[in-house]
Amino acid sequence: MSGAEVTLKNIFKSWNEISALNDISLDVPAGKFTALLGPSGCGKSTALRIVSGLEEPTSGQVFIGGNDVTHIPPAARDIAMVFQSYALFPHLTVAENIVFGLRVRGLVRKERDEKLKATAQLLGLSELLDRKPSQLSGGQQQRVALGRAIVADKSIFLMDEPLSNLDAKLRAEMREEIRALQDRLGVTMLYVTHDQVEAVTMADQVVLMNHGRVEQVASPRVMYEMPATLFAAKFIGTPPMVTFSPQLLSHSLTPSLLKKSQNLTFGIRPESLTLNDSGLINGTVGNVEYLGADALIECKVGDEFLLCRAPGRTQLTEGTPINLAFNVKDLHVFNTASGQRTDNMLPEIEMALSSQNASSELAS
Amino acid sequence: MRNSAKHQWIYAWLLLSPAMIFLITFTHYPAVQTVISSFFSTGRGRRKSVFIGWDNYATLLLDEVFWKVLVNNFWYAIWTIPLSIIFSLAMALWVNDKLRGRGFLRMAYFTPTVLPLIAVANIWLFFYTPGFGLIDQIRGLFGFAEQNWMGSPDTALYSMIAVAIWKEAGFFMIFYLAALQTIPPSLREAASIEGASKFYYFRRVIFPLLMPTTLFVSINAVINSFRLVDHIFVMTEGGPNNSSSLLLFYIYEVAFDYWDTAYAATLTVVMLAILTTVAIGQFFFLDKKVHYK
Repeated sequence: MSGAEVTLKNIFKSWNEISALNDISLDVPAGKFTALLGPSGCGKSTALRIVSGLEEPTSGQVFIGGNDVTHIPPAARDIAMVFQSYALFPHLTVAENIVFGLRVRGLVRKERDEKLKATAQLLGLSELLDRKPSQLSGGQQQRVALGRAIVADKSIFLMDEPLSNLDAKLRAEMREEIRALQDRLGVTMLYVTHDQVEAVTMADQVVLMNHGRVEQVASPRVMYEMPATLFAAKFIGTPPMVTFSPQLLSHSLTPSLLKKSQNLTFGIRPESLTLNDSGLINGTVGNVEYLGADALIECKVGDEFLLCRAPGRTQLTEGTPINLAFNVKDLHVFNTASGQRTDNMLPEIEMALSSQNASSELAS
Repeated sequence: MRNSAKHQWIYAWLLLSPAMIFLITFTHYPAVQTVISSFFSTGRGRRKSVFIGWDNYATLLLDEVFWKVLVNNFWYAIWTIPLSIIFSLAMALWVNDKLRGRGFLRMAYFTPTVLPLIAVANIWLFFYTPGFGLIDQIRGLFGFAEQNWMGSPDTALYSMIAVAIWKEAGFFMIFYLAALQTIPPSLREAASIEGASKFYYFRRVIFPLLMPTTLFVSINAVINSFRLVDHIFVMTEGGPNNSSSLLLFYIYEVAFDYWDTAYAATLTVVMLAILTTVAIGQFFFLDKKVHYK
């Protein structure tokens, strides 16, 4: 078993007047783990269902392993799917649930039993084969759903928020397990989630979606370090990137540069903001959220609020004046109107800020 | 303490008594009285009702009409039970799909259940009228001869069966429809990803999941096959030559036309015995195959 690549070309999907997908083009590389990430209603599940064939696109094409499968039924697409609700057949035993598809395809009993045994062993279900789904815990039901996908020997796995019904501890375990399973089987994984932690920890490639469009396709690291849009910056990371207007740095930027920057938004990760007396940003402490190892400090500057990640032992209290410093390399610049990352202004801003930084450091 | 415990005891009886009085007066006492009556002769005028042991049951064994209506009822049940279940299931599957005018179809199928059987029997009377009835008019278009549906001993019973199925199927459909709506659509999707055909999905998933409903519906259908006789009063009155008479209709005739109440009680006991046996058997036979959620 090995993966096959999936390609979406200019996919549109709408129901009557409501448009769910708006010109989606996407490459899912073979044998890799790709996460479809986005807020609810962004179209990620619709995209997955179009790949599965449960839904037909209004226009556009779906390719699997290079073949156009846009109008081919799900069963002929070389895919297996795990549903959010698991979709186990409540009246069938675990064993019957797993081999359901093999029976449909008329596999002989001997082969069926062999595959069942191997799959059950892989997932630790061997003891539970005679149970009904209602007698299983959520995590066990999840495994049965996985088993049904594995036993089918398909090269593409589609998963629609498979972990959202599990509790936090189990979810963390299953994350690792699913990732290990994908590695081991070498299948192409397309995994829908609204949880950025899941996407970032599991995926080789994250596809961030919003309002039926693809915002960014990148590895988790690139997505975090170089968000392509304001939306990506605000969606990835807990807490998300802090954004502020260039006005906040008005005393550090030349008037001409400030004028050029007026339709830009600056962004910075909370962990890149440090408490420093000579910092460029001067404000007062607002709310302090204690998280144990860290504390999130809200810093009020004019009308804007910045979040700064400080060590948990901080003793700052509300109302104390503070200065925040940052490394100019950690600054992100976006066009406010389009939300797109605009790197071309970066050198000029960097130059202005680093000279400021240098002078302020000298002064102190 | 003792006092309040005693009060609770009184409250319990006060709360239970209204329902209990009605149940005893109209269900339990008559039932017991029926069994007792079946061992007595019918009192007429100055002749008092006397204990006659199993005599009524002996009469019953020799009563040709009894055997005739029993056989009729057998065929009536054999046809109405499975057919009304099959039709109701088919209709439910159909109107559960996404289709135009679904609401209208559901209502149309349910209408026979809402209408009083006495009223619709009159409509069916017109359908069956020889010569200018609806059925004969349609048959006439294809050149078939007139047929006296209710007047011929060969077809009278089957005409009644058709009305009963028509009446019952819509009612059972509601139960199937309700059960179908509790089946999550993701099961259908999971099956289609595995390549299961519509029929395979029905056979392996839908039908087993509907088994509790099927059990409920089939017990109801059995009871109805003995109980639903209103249309016979309006349409054939059991004729011709008792060919469309059923057990309950015969009981009514014996009790309130011939006023042989003791013999009617005997017949009733037999009917109850049959119904109980069938219902219990059904329950034990089907229960093993039913998956309850």
